[in-house]
Amino acid sequence: MIAQGHPRSIGKHVPRREDPYLLRGEGRFLDDIAEPKDTLFLSFAMSPHAHARILAIRTDAASALPGVVAVYTAEDMARFVKPIRTVIEIQGYRASSRMVLAQDEVRFVGEHVAVVVAEDPYIAQDAAELIEVDYEPLPAAVRLEEADSESAPLVHEDIPRNVMFEAAFASPDFQAAFESAEMIVSETFRTGRVAGVPLEPRGCLALLDHVADSLLFYTSTQIPHLARTALSEILDFPEPRIRVVTPEVGGGFGTKAQFYTEEVVTAALALNLRRPIKWVQDRREELLTSIHARDHIYRLEAAIDGEGRIKALRTDLTTNAGAYSSYPFGCTLEATGGARMIVGPYDIRNYAFHTRAIATHTCPSGAYRGVAQPSCFMAIEGLMDRIGRKLGIDPATVRQRNLIRSEQLPYTNVLGVRYDTGSYEECLRRALERVDYWNFRKRQAEARDDDEVLRGIGICCFTEVAGAGSGGWRVRGLTKVPGFDSASIKVEPTGKVTLLVSQAAAGQGHLTTFAQVLADYLGVKVEDVFVSEGDTATAPYGTNTFASRGAVAAGGAVIKAAQSLRQKIARIAAFLLDVDVERVELTESKAIDKENPEKSVDFRQVAQIAYSMTSVALPQGESFGLEVVEMYDPPLATWPNAVHAVVVAVDRRTAKVSIEKYVVVHDSGRLINPMIVDGQIHGGIVQGIGEALMEQIVYDEDGQMLNANLLDYLMPMALDVPQIDISHIETPSIDALGGFKGVGEGGVIGAVPAVTNAVADALARTGANINRLPLRPSYLLREMRRRQLAVDGDRK
Amino acid sequence: MALQFTLNGKTVEFSGEARTTLADCLRHHLGQTGTHVGCEHGVCGACTVIVDGEAVRSCLMLAVQAEGSHVTTVEGLSEGEDLSPLQAAFRKHHALQCGFCTPGILTTAHALLTHEPDADEERIRHVLSGNICRCTGYLPIIEAILDARAAYADGRRGKPA
Amino acid sequence: MKLSRLEYARPASVAEAIELLQGTEGAKIIAGGQSLMPVLAFRLAAPPLLVDIGRLEDLRGTEITPVGTRLGARVRWCEIERDAALRRAQPLLAAMTDHVAHYQVRNRGTVGGSLAHADPAAEMPGVAVACDAIMHVAGPAGIRDVKSEDFFEGPLQTVLAEDELLVGLTLPPWPPGRRWAFEEFALRRGDFALAGVAVHYGRDAEGRAHGVRVGAIGAGETPLRLHAVEAELEGRKIGEALISSAAKLAAASVDPMNDLHADAEYRRALVATLFERVMLRAEHRQEEGENGPAVHP
Repeated sequence: MIAQGHPRSIGKHVPRREDPYLLRGEGRFLDDIAEPKDTLFLSFAMSPHAHARILAIRTDAASALPGVVAVYTAEDMARFVKPIRTVIEIQGYRASSRMVLAQDEVRFVGEHVAVVVAEDPYIAQDAAELIEVDYEPLPAAVRLEEADSESAPLVHEDIPRNVMFEAAFASPDFQAAFESAEMIVSETFRTGRVAGVPLEPRGCLALLDHVADSLLFYTSTQIPHLARTALSEILDFPEPRIRVVTPEVGGGFGTKAQFYTEEVVTAALALNLRRPIKWVQDRREELLTSIHARDHIYRLEAAIDGEGRIKALRTDLTTNAGAYSSYPFGCTLEATGGARMIVGPYDIRNYAFHTRAIATHTCPSGAYRGVAQPSCFMAIEGLMDRIGRKLGIDPATVRQRNLIRSEQLPYTNVLGVRYDTGSYEECLRRALERVDYWNFRKRQAEARDDDEVLRGIGICCFTEVAGAGSGGWRVRGLTKVPGFDSASIKVEPTGKVTLLVSQAAAGQGHLTTFAQVLADYLGVKVEDVFVSEGDTATAPYGTNTFASRGAVAAGGAVIKAAQSLRQKIARIAAFLLDVDVERVELTESKAIDKENPEKSVDFRQVAQIAYSMTSVALPQGESFGLEVVEMYDPPLATWPNAVHAVVVAVDRRTAKVSIEKYVVVHDSGRLINPMIVDGQIHGGIVQGIGEALMEQIVYDEDGQMLNANLLDYLMPMALDVPQIDISHIETPSIDALGGFKGVGEGGVIGAVPAVTNAVADALARTGANINRLPLRPSYLLREMRRRQLAVDGDRK
Repeated sequence: MALQFTLNGKTVEFSGEARTTLADCLRHHLGQTGTHVGCEHGVCGACTVIVDGEAVRSCLMLAVQAEGSHVTTVEGLSEGEDLSPLQAAFRKHHALQCGFCTPGILTTAHALLTHEPDADEERIRHVLSGNICRCTGYLPIIEAILDARAAYADGRRGKPA
Repeated sequence: MKLSRLEYARPASVAEAIELLQGTEGAKIIAGGQSLMPVLAFRLAAPPLLVDIGRLEDLRGTEITPVGTRLGARVRWCEIERDAALRRAQPLLAAMTDHVAHYQVRNRGTVGGSLAHADPAAEMPGVAVACDAIMHVAGPAGIRDVKSEDFFEGPLQTVLAEDELLVGLTLPPWPPGRRWAFEEFALRRGDFALAGVAVHYGRDAEGRAHGVRVGAIGAGETPLRLHAVEAELEGRKIGEALISSAAKLAAASVDPMNDLHADAEYRRALVATLFERVMLRAEHRQEEGENGPAVHP
């Protein structure tokens, strides 16, 4: 398929095309787009209560402020906007709808109750402060543990006991296997509520094209196509007359893979007021209202044999859905994800789960990088360590005994999911070697009880669900998530190539990597390819960019389209070269005669004929143009795998955690651009270090968020980051075109469990049991002291 | 409120409300949108600009406080299409992904290396600890800045060799 | 997060600044703005008038004399970082203020701003209290001097009246051979400390400590002097047992708060740990003891 012996682009460190303009400060992010002079700006009035009845809203003072054009409440909005209703076709899901402004009742702090439209963003905010709302505060169900009870206040009247979603599964022989096992190891794991916090908050700009009576909608999103369809349905405005454009997007991480109420409001007001409308979110709003994630409780029970092999595993998972089901993934994504992915790279033949998503009076949860996987692997990997401790077997050995062996691949797991290829044992072997595992264990055994510094090592072996196709989304009931992606290739009359992709990158370097893929599969020079995406007026429809699907889904679409177009190019070239088409090979923007390589025509010559711009006529039977669109539906999923191994030092007195060594052995199949792949892994790991050690959104018992600012929502900074040793194994997928497996989330998935296990291992000597996030010093010290007090008590 | 200052070598005028931050003045009144705003409360560093030779957060300064000053933004770091050695090092080391934080990190690094061309890794990490990057994990940024030091040696102030 | 509407004035003198403060109720002083601007961005305060003292030359500069070191309110962290003479003259000031915030903030943030903002976890108020500084406060009636321990009244609260402004402070001279150390613990470098402890003392020929000062930040509603601990150490030879008992006393004599970053129990334990560590460092410091931390160019 690819010409042998010719330059290849895939696998090379190609510098990014995105860089020069971004480095010159010329990147056009949402708020960098120059708005028309008559643009109006929005500011939302937000609920100060977690749960309250709205008794009255007075907008007179706000409306009277000079520069204010209008103030809208839910009542005004209901005239032209339908509620957002997240459809998920799965048993056990109870849908809730959400008006874009709260009507009658507010359900989390920060929920919008009114919106000001003004000539200037400063004035808009002045006016929002003048909106007076009478609330009758109501009891709130804030913490997951509290909301999950018979007596908890209800978040939605029609959702009994706050259970928004519930599902269960048991494999046929589960009960027998569980009951007949030698022993049970169990543990409860509590993860911490975190958020994606892209450095660019969200925002949108809605412009009317009065001639075409259409809406041009710029929005900082990962899902332009899905957003367009949603806008059309909610606004009852024809989809062909909506053009959604994503400018540069300043980080997404899933936070921007949801469709939000403010997008509806901005578009609706532009249509209603017939004026351009801009809304730019500020950081406080971002932390209060962009989706949160990972507020989970895992109760695991493993039935094991004396060698540490898991004979049966039971998971009971509870996730915090927040006040509403976010769109389009809803409250089921984390609950199904955590329960289904947890078996990971292990040969677990008997499995049962019970999983629920509980509504609370907090910001809705959604799809943040890794979704439930950092937490479900924290749980299963934490359990692996506990199995080792219980049996006196090294935890690395426990893993080796449970991993799916290479000869078992392709492997169908207990849930019926196929892993096509992988390198589970090899990744672990290599990671242990690179982190010098067994020597570390020797040194650790020599440590003394009164050492001021405690050292520990943590491992995480994982598989990652990536690149899911239509089947993968349907299995989880997410029928509004299509699963396929698309590519449109046009060899222009000049011979240069335009590649339009159905995605929307937020820093992943698509303009570079898709050019690399096309270069190899079409036989075109990489510099002759121009990639564009994120504009629904030009790009073909697709599922867009999240869940590690870029390389797999869009990469596959590029390959499919290239394969289709190269046939036509070869036929025309064969005609020009006067040889059989089988003798034609495309390479470096040329078609050459394989048997006589000096004989060639370039793409321009072929294109001139295809576009009828030369004296030579197009061969009979060929259609004009050199253009093709292909949709590609990837397999149910691709399954990258990796092992992270981490050494930490913990100051026994302050409980400060320092990461001394960080090793990753990663297998995401065939790599397109190793530089970009490493960048994804680095970035994910640092987010995972943040999630493990410091990040946490904190609500008090009344549902006030205590850290809706970046002084108190702590993310890793340059001083908090260790050196990271990454090595790759490339086991191509045999199910996905191109062999790519996806790489967007592996970093964070591996980091959270590995760091947690390392800290837990370091503290094991003190008797502390570390099973919740984040691993803040105050928590760690409390656990060490609790244990110490218990020991002292026993002595007395 | 009306005032003048020098922006990337040219005199500019601002007329607007006293409460306008320097960041908003640069972006929305003077159309220089390379300086980004990520938190508006002085934590993320995306809005870093150089005022009278020193890196500062432009969201924590009123525009009026820059009256008469020399302000350099990311737009002033290179000339025309050519990347400065610092910018080129960022590209080489893949020190940016989404690019939103990048202008503030470039201005910070430029100010640092102008004053301290021999800053070591430790010093660079300390200085960068006032900038949040959510994409890269910082390591490539540190490498890029280390790599760019040569262009600041011998008073070259980041100019190409 | 746009600021509320406000007026702006840039007085030419301290006297004019005070007149402006007198003329508008709720007017606020701004200099570097590194503490005030975030407060304004969150609209936690909405002063009708900002009085910008950021260009008053009188408030700049450092003076090192035999009677002490005088710092103008406008001295910035980056200036302390680069001033080798100042770092030698006041090593504890240098060491503590090295922990303040980040590069960009250090280029604008001022000594006076930090003192007037009075965050109980901030380093500069801790320096003032640990070193018995005298604060110089200008008001309608002229300058009055306030002892540092009397200056701080609570979290973000000082004795400064609405029409007063802090123009500078004087730190007593640092006697040669003084033992000292400072340590703080923050979740990330540059964040406000969960707690910090500073000690300094002289040592007589017999090795007994005298003139002991123990300061703590992040351990109460204001920066603290731990008088009971000072009394415990005063006149005694410093040894492991004494450090250990004094550390318990230190923990018992602070009243730290619970917040989302750490509970009071943790902070209390931290004060004991940091106290032990600074005492050991102070004891092991080389005899000359005068060299402050390294200078950045």
